[in-house]
Amino acid sequence: MPDGLFIFFAALTLGAAALLVLSRNPVTSAMGMILALVGVAADFFLLDAYFLGVLQVLVYAGAVMVLFLFIIMLLNSDDPTGAYPWKTLALGLATFFLLSAGVLWLFQWSGAVPAIATGPTPPELSNVPSEFTTSAKSFGRLLYSKYLLPLEIAGFLLLVALVGVVSLSKDSNSTAQN
Amino acid sequence: MEHTTLAHHLILAGLLFVIGLTGVLIRRNLLVVYMCLELMLTAATLALVAFSRFNHLMDGAVLVFFVITVAAAEVAVGLALIVALFRQRGTVQSDALNSLHD
Amino acid sequence: MSPDLSCLVHWILFLPLVVAAFSAVVLRRAGTIAAWLSTATAFVIAYLAWIVLSQVPGDLVWHVKLASFGQMELGFGYLLNAHARLMLFVVSFVAAWIHLFSIGYMADDEAKGRFFAGLSIFMFSILGIVVADNLLMTFIFWELVGFSSYMLIAHYFDKDFAAAASKKAFITNRVGDLGFILGLAFCLQHFGTLNFADLAAHQPAGGWPIALGALLMCGFLGKSAQFPLHVWLTDAMAGPTPVSALIHAATMVAAGVYFMARIFFLMTPEVLEIIAISGASMAALGGLCALAQTDIKKSLAYSTLAHLGIMACALGLGHPELALLHMTMHAFFKATLFLGAGSVIHGCHHEQNMLQMGGLLKKMPITATAFIIATLSNCAVPFFAGWYSKDAIIEAAFHGHHYVAFGLLAIAALATCLYSARMVRLVFLGSAQSEAAEHAHESPWTMTVPLVILGVVFSLAAGFATSFLIPANATVSIAEPLHEMAFSFTAPATWVGLLSLLAGWAALKFYGIFPGKDSLQVFSPRTYHLLEHRWMDSFYEWYLQKVQRRVAEFIAFLDLLLINGVAGRWIAAGIPAVLGYFTGRTLHRGQTRGYALWIILGTLLLAWCFLAR
Repeated sequence: MPDGLFIFFAALTLGAAALLVLSRNPVTSAMGMILALVGVAADFFLLDAYFLGVLQVLVYAGAVMVLFLFIIMLLNSDDPTGAYPWKTLALGLATFFLLSAGVLWLFQWSGAVPAIATGPTPPELSNVPSEFTTSAKSFGRLLYSKYLLPLEIAGFLLLVALVGVVSLSKDSNSTAQN
Repeated sequence: MEHTTLAHHLILAGLLFVIGLTGVLIRRNLLVVYMCLELMLTAATLALVAFSRFNHLMDGAVLVFFVITVAAAEVAVGLALIVALFRQRGTVQSDALNSLHD
Repeated sequence: MSPDLSCLVHWILFLPLVVAAFSAVVLRRAGTIAAWLSTATAFVIAYLAWIVLSQVPGDLVWHVKLASFGQMELGFGYLLNAHARLMLFVVSFVAAWIHLFSIGYMADDEAKGRFFAGLSIFMFSILGIVVADNLLMTFIFWELVGFSSYMLIAHYFDKDFAAAASKKAFITNRVGDLGFILGLAFCLQHFGTLNFADLAAHQPAGGWPIALGALLMCGFLGKSAQFPLHVWLTDAMAGPTPVSALIHAATMVAAGVYFMARIFFLMTPEVLEIIAISGASMAALGGLCALAQTDIKKSLAYSTLAHLGIMACALGLGHPELALLHMTMHAFFKATLFLGAGSVIHGCHHEQNMLQMGGLLKKMPITATAFIIATLSNCAVPFFAGWYSKDAIIEAAFHGHHYVAFGLLAIAALATCLYSARMVRLVFLGSAQSEAAEHAHESPWTMTVPLVILGVVFSLAAGFATSFLIPANATVSIAEPLHEMAFSFTAPATWVGLLSLLAGWAALKFYGIFPGKDSLQVFSPRTYHLLEHRWMDSFYEWYLQKVQRRVAEFIAFLDLLLINGVAGRWIAAGIPAVLGYFTGRTLHRGQTRGYALWIILGTLLLAWCFLAR
């Protein structure tokens, strides 16, 4: 039997996700999303990835979802009141059940996933020692040694995204400089 | 089993992913679809962290770091695109955005 | 093998190629320079060939491997045995004098540069066939010769019949070459090599396969105008007369005979039998048909057909050396005859109808003398060049107990004298029948000198000359029958010869009866028409129109129905149309949801493919 805490947060996350998918009001969906993200962050904490959990809450639930809410409010969008066509509902439900069954089978009963971590670290993954620790310091050390290039590229990516967003948001009729 | 095993975490991640997928298929509001897409991404990061924890490695966690960064950039750009689309078309309902007439 | 002398052969072979390229590119406008350059080259080659013939002891072999494709090797090499050296000399010698003649004949032609470039390319091609040491190389040069012939026949390409004739020549040759190619493939598959020397060294235990000889014979049928592929030779007279002399009398058509002599060891008795009968029949028929032609060149073309038949018969009787001997003698006197005809045509301002000529003996004495001497050689008058070879062949037929061939050859000899006498009577004797003949004049020295050399000297004396001038070791296989020839009354060939000569004498009188008209036509129009009508051409025409066209139309119909209709429209286009209809309806509706679904399904499929091991 898994931990009670895990079950609680898992149920919370799944419930929030269901809210996200099923609610008519997009603002409600956004709330559901935030809750799901918080649940996932809690799961990160349960997995001893504290830094990542906090990061998730701060960046994802904090910044990204706020942005989403801004845009939802801005566009004042609503789901149309009409019902979904039955074909779509059927497709969605069929997909959901089939894939869920597939996921459950794959991870629980197919034997592809071992119950506990098996064996020592594979040698090809350990050219720089990256033993699992919970401290942010080791995180930073790894980031600036083994993953330096991706770090720089990520920074560059953010710059590009920034420029792109600004240029996309420019009103074509406006005479504003910059 | 006293503890939560890898399989449990993976099942959670998998179910989250499937729910997100269903949302992408069913919903008509583009913004909600986008949120479900992000949910799928989050499920993937959850799986990554679980693997990282159970293999005693940090590499998975660092990858999650980058995934979050990329997701943030991507959301920003995607939302800007949706806003531009709204300006052009006046709607974000995927049904109404169909230019290919049957 | 000595490297110096193989160097000579390199010069002999590649000099005309270089000259041809040079003429074609640089000397297009400067026709006269091209003409003299070509002619000088031809004489140089003739001289080099004489050196090769007279001074090289034994065989000369040289080989270089160019490329190999699996089992098949593309090799370039020379195999100069006795046959090859003789042929090399004959070809280059006759060609040199014809080059000289062409300068005079083509003096007022505008496209002289092109003509002489064509002659040089032809020289390269024919010499390639002569020296080649493997079947593939022979084939390549074979095709080149066909191309040169095509180009030269179509020299007056603005005339429809010339263009049509060149096409006919090339296509008919091609039909024969199909057999050649199949023979090549067969040889390669069975013996793994195409080299003459290798093949000769490894005779299989049960004898050579029939198919090999039969297939390679097909090339000979096409090139040397044997039945049933003889139809192109008479039409090829549309080309300029020097071309007819060089290619269609002396060298190219003889290349087939030479080739057969080269691969004689591959022939089986059945194949030889066919060649003998076919050749003898052609000899007889060709000679008879020559009686019904009014164009002097066409008559000579039929005469060539007849002689080719005699050569084929010699091959079929098992005497390749006799065939080569006759080929040599024939080259000399037939070239003279054609050059004489050219001289006559030139003198009569391009009049080619024999019935319009006459009395040219007084007006063009040198031409007439050369022509008459060559005619005597043609008729195998004793001790003239033609006598040695032709009578030897008739003898061989008789002593080989091949009486059918003997009978046909006798008829051929008879016919030869008849048409030769007719030609001489109509052209040179009697009185002029037209304005052009009235004002005929002798040709310039460039034309008469070759006539004298080839006609007077060689047609007369080649028989003697061969045994004395050419060393025995060079033509060892040919010298024997030469030395054996003697004038004796007991030989059946002698009787045939005498009877023919009597008939010829009678014909001289006969054709003088009606000036300006063909006496045979007057006396017996039906016989004349029988001989004049081109039966084989009619047959081909019928076949093409009635049989082949119908089959082709039927196949076209099937193609339209099955390949276009069923396979094209229904299957190849239909299946995508059906699929497209269904997928178009579902896949391309413009809704992102649908696209997302297909993306997901596709990804799942891929994941399943990769993970489910």
